[in-house]
Amino acid sequence: MTSTWTSRIIIGLTLTFLIGPFFIIIAAGLSAGDFLAFPPEGLTLKWYIKVFEVESFRDSFALSMFLAVFGTIAALMLGVPAAYALSRYKIPYGETIKTVVAAPIIVPGIIVGLALLRYLVVPLSFTITLALFLAHTALVLPYAVRVVSSSLNNLRSDMEEAAVLLGCSRIGAFFRVVLPNIQSGVLAAFILGFVTSFNQVPVSLFLSGPGVRTLPIDMLSYMEITYDPSVAALSALLAFMSVVIVFVAEKFLGFSRYV
Amino acid sequence: MSDAFVSLQNLSLAYGKTVVVPDLNLDIRKGELIALLGPSGCGKTTTMRAIAGLMSLHGGSISIDGIDMSRTPANKRGIGLVFQSYALFPHLNAFENVAFGLRLKKLPKSEIASGVEAGLNTVGLSHLADRKPAEMSGGQQQRLSLARSLVMQPKVLLLDEPLSNLDARLRLEMRTELQRVQRDTGITMVFVTHDQSEALALADRIVLMKDGLIEQLGTPDDLYNRPETAFAADFFGFENIFNVSGSIITGPQGSAPINFKAVDGHLAWRPGAIKIGNGSHQGTVRGVAFAGEQREYVIDCQLGQIKASVSADEPAHEIGTSIAFDLPKAGALSILVT
Ligand SMILES: Nc1ncnc2c1ncn2[C@@H]1O[C@H](COP(=O)(O)OP(=O)(O)O)[C@@H](O)[C@H]1O
Ligand SMILES: [Mg+2]
Repeated sequence: MTSTWTSRIIIGLTLTFLIGPFFIIIAAGLSAGDFLAFPPEGLTLKWYIKVFEVESFRDSFALSMFLAVFGTIAALMLGVPAAYALSRYKIPYGETIKTVVAAPIIVPGIIVGLALLRYLVVPLSFTITLALFLAHTALVLPYAVRVVSSSLNNLRSDMEEAAVLLGCSRIGAFFRVVLPNIQSGVLAAFILGFVTSFNQVPVSLFLSGPGVRTLPIDMLSYMEITYDPSVAALSALLAFMSVVIVFVAEKFLGFSRYV
Repeated sequence: MSDAFVSLQNLSLAYGKTVVVPDLNLDIRKGELIALLGPSGCGKTTTMRAIAGLMSLHGGSISIDGIDMSRTPANKRGIGLVFQSYALFPHLNAFENVAFGLRLKKLPKSEIASGVEAGLNTVGLSHLADRKPAEMSGGQQQRLSLARSLVMQPKVLLLDEPLSNLDARLRLEMRTELQRVQRDTGITMVFVTHDQSEALALADRIVLMKDGLIEQLGTPDDLYNRPETAFAADFFGFENIFNVSGSIITGPQGSAPINFKAVDGHLAWRPGAIKIGNGSHQGTVRGVAFAGEQREYVIDCQLGQIKASVSADEPAHEIGTSIAFDLPKAGALSILVT
């Protein structure tokens, strides 16, 4: 009896801490006052509408979308073959490679961002956009390798040999029998990468320039000037987008198997 | 040499530095159904993978139809392999699994469709063309895997323990099926098994392997009735094997005289060849098992343990009773030690 109550209280607290902020943000975005406030002072939808009217938000949203989509695609184009090679062939220093690939998960993003700025953007005069693209690709790569590796490990390699004996080349067998069978793992990696990239702050912090900012960074700088509830409204919309994506992914892919 | 279709010469195979097949010589005739028989781990799968080209040779050569294939890549050898695990493509239905190889050959659509239909028909799966492998039983998956290889009209079809994942009844059914397919198609087949009764029932010739070497090669009749080594004799059911010198046989526990003269080497009896109830040897019944038409005894005696099997019509002997038995000259297999 006691233990059920204890566990209920623990679950309740956990949910409050996880989901509570989400409701606070939604509510704060509905506040009729001119400043960010909770509990809301009256109700209005005007901040949710204003979000779409701020031009810099539109630009930075487009940039963040671009980075999330193409950075993740680039990471998968590197990560899928890497995961395949690591799982199927005895590669010298394979374990070391795995550790190195996972490094961006371990190294604080802010250091990665600073390093890219200091050693790529400044000396090689890379554009900020290119540096951001590289940074987001590198950021997502470990997730791509990990998620794809786990679905490859569930796939028996004799299938590929069967394909070869039926006339495929090794590469042909990869495209004809491996890829179709890890499809949902690749899609799961894409979604995880997309969400990670889109919400990424530290790496992007140093990589911003005139008119080139990712959405989270843009929101930070917007708040330095204007303290109105539109940032809360935008946050709520973004959180809602992530929740929908993950929910759909879970429903159709059994997403939680991969992460 | 003359009628060899597949020829393995001084084949040696290794994983890294571990040599598992040291020196294998084998000629397989065209249209033959040959069994690679041997205990688990003796190198059957390894040999088969080497023939298929899935593993590079450590030494020696493989030729097919007179052409050296030792360096030909697996996808150019024209050899089929039915994997022990079937290795079907889970994302494709039965039709597409069978069509896979034909599509790679870029055959016209109509030819692919008729080829696949004929293939599925041969193995009795036409009605399941739309099913995915996961929606099929073990036996059906096995037959699908067979059809997928057969439609490619391989020069040689290799089958790795094709029946071992099936239950007993299905195994008998598939045995006949395999034999029929082989008769109908005339394809040269090599199948791996660790089950002597399967090899005896199906094969034209049996290759008995031990530790990567050929222990004996011959017809089922040769191996069943005239095993040439103690290992072969034991494998084919001569479970009572003793050393013999003069008229004295020696087992793990001790020696005993026999009442006939034998050539020095080994003497072996099947359990069914041993007479119990009277005879010059004495022992104690250690175990008795009823096996339908037979009763199987384990008897402790001065030689060690003896296995005897007698008609269940005879009166039973209780565990613990002492019993006389005979190791008769008739039914004794003499094995020379070379
Ligand atoms: N991939 C491998 N790496 C190293 N050793 C292996 C590998 N596969 C098999 N072996 C070893 O090679 C020997 C022969 O194996 P295998 O050909 O699979 O035997 P069988 O098919 O007769 O049971 C065994 O001792 C086994 O442990
Ligand atoms: Mg094997």
